[in-house]
Amino acid sequence: MELTITGANAITFPTLHIWDWRVAIYLFLGGLVGGLLTMSGVANLRPGKVVPRDQPCCWRIPLIAPILLSVGMFFLFLDLELKSHMLWFYLTFRPLSPMSWGSWLLVLIYPPMILYAFAAVPDALKAKMKDGFLKSFANRMRPHLLKLARINFVLGILLAIYTGILLSTFAARPLWNSAILPVLFLASGMSTGTALMIIMARKNEVKLFFTKVDIWMIFTEIMILLLFFYGHYTSDAVHRNAIMPFFNTSHQFFPYFLSIVALGIFLPLAIVLKFLEVSGDHTVELSPSGKFLMNASAVMVLLGGLVVRFALVYAGQLSGYGLM
Amino acid sequence: MPKYAMVIDQSRCIGCMSCVVACKRENDVPPEHYRTRVLEMVSGEFPKLKSELRSELCNHCDNPPCVTVCPTGASHKEEDGSVQIDRKKCVGCKACVAACPYNARYINEEHGYADKCSFCQHRVRAGKQPACVATCIGKSRIFGDLDDPNSEVSQILRKHSYRVLLKGAGTRPNVYYINQFPKKS
Repeated sequence: MELTITGANAITFPTLHIWDWRVAIYLFLGGLVGGLLTMSGVANLRPGKVVPRDQPCCWRIPLIAPILLSVGMFFLFLDLELKSHMLWFYLTFRPLSPMSWGSWLLVLIYPPMILYAFAAVPDALKAKMKDGFLKSFANRMRPHLLKLARINFVLGILLAIYTGILLSTFAARPLWNSAILPVLFLASGMSTGTALMIIMARKNEVKLFFTKVDIWMIFTEIMILLLFFYGHYTSDAVHRNAIMPFFNTSHQFFPYFLSIVALGIFLPLAIVLKFLEVSGDHTVELSPSGKFLMNASAVMVLLGGLVVRFALVYAGQLSGYGLM
Repeated sequence: MPKYAMVIDQSRCIGCMSCVVACKRENDVPPEHYRTRVLEMVSGEFPKLKSELRSELCNHCDNPPCVTVCPTGASHKEEDGSVQIDRKKCVGCKACVAACPYNARYINEEHGYADKCSFCQHRVRAGKQPACVATCIGKSRIFGDLDDPNSEVSQILRKHSYRVLLKGAGTRPNVYYINQFPKKS
């Protein structure tokens, strides 16, 4: 068919391109922070263990989580076309708009996150604090650590799942319009959060515990990713066409094909490395090479999470209903 | 209250594009942006060719996904059935652009807000026809009140079989298409 359009807007023709790397990074950091909050909650709440609350993963993670989320929100702010109108997000609440829910969720999540960060500050760090108010506030929060860990555990799940809901509600974009997408982003957020926990942890036992957790998280993520593609492939023509960029080697779609290849390498390789780690002898301290492999596999998981967000944000905008 | 709708008689469109020009001029649409478009589609193999001219614009849906996703209420449904944008509330998040299955929206790069066809609300309130309708030389575009049984659009829709774009999307558009292909003589 020969088609001539008079009056096409560049933003929507030939394909939609409204959101770029800024939104992909925001979604990645949102998922990562969700995973961090949940997994640091796990670190603090693990039953039957001597609670290693002064371990770096127990106090550093609650401290860096609000910073990472703020960086993500800064990228989202950069993407807004009318930054001076931003206040309108908080002058209204639209119950059917996922973005409205998200903007309120992000505001509501900060207070418990900051209180959690204060509660988690270890005594050694408190001794170095010069500000008397901050020190006494951290002391007052300390008895509430476990309560705050529980709250942040739940908020982490909500935050990670929200990043997927944001995209999945766009019925006009078939690739995003899947109920599996929020679950995929949840699994990805949890696996990347666990990966960062492994990097931040110092003790062998803690690193191994989160390595075991991450194996299941990555396995779940791969399964959901396969189901996501399978669901689209067995759906109607527009949904099937929506996933085709990932399986097309032409130069136009090569980055998407590459992203699938990258995920096919990063995630399974990370699982293999982690299996080797947990099956080894851990009665002695980890060797430098052992630590390197452990951290390398965690970096692969983080890269995998980043690739998932970038690939889906960009490919989703290629999908649509086309000519009606 | 009226319920505004537009009927597009495809057999009467001559592809002069005056609707596109009139819309840009009337609504001060910046260069490179358009609120309405005309598609010229030629399919088949010579000599058995089939051509279709189709004007497209915001469908002012009764179930508009752009309004649902808008986080600030900038995109809203008015009592007259049209979908409008309150520019003061628009944050330029572009969710409405992604949500529209008809790709009817764009971002006004000069001012940053989302924009689209408004059924020339300012003209309609003044008792005039939208600019594209007033300028259409072939009378391909017909505008009116669906709640008035004597209006031209109501009468046409009673007489003709019509279609809407992407009916399956469940958006319930208020732009109707009739006479997709002219009758053979």
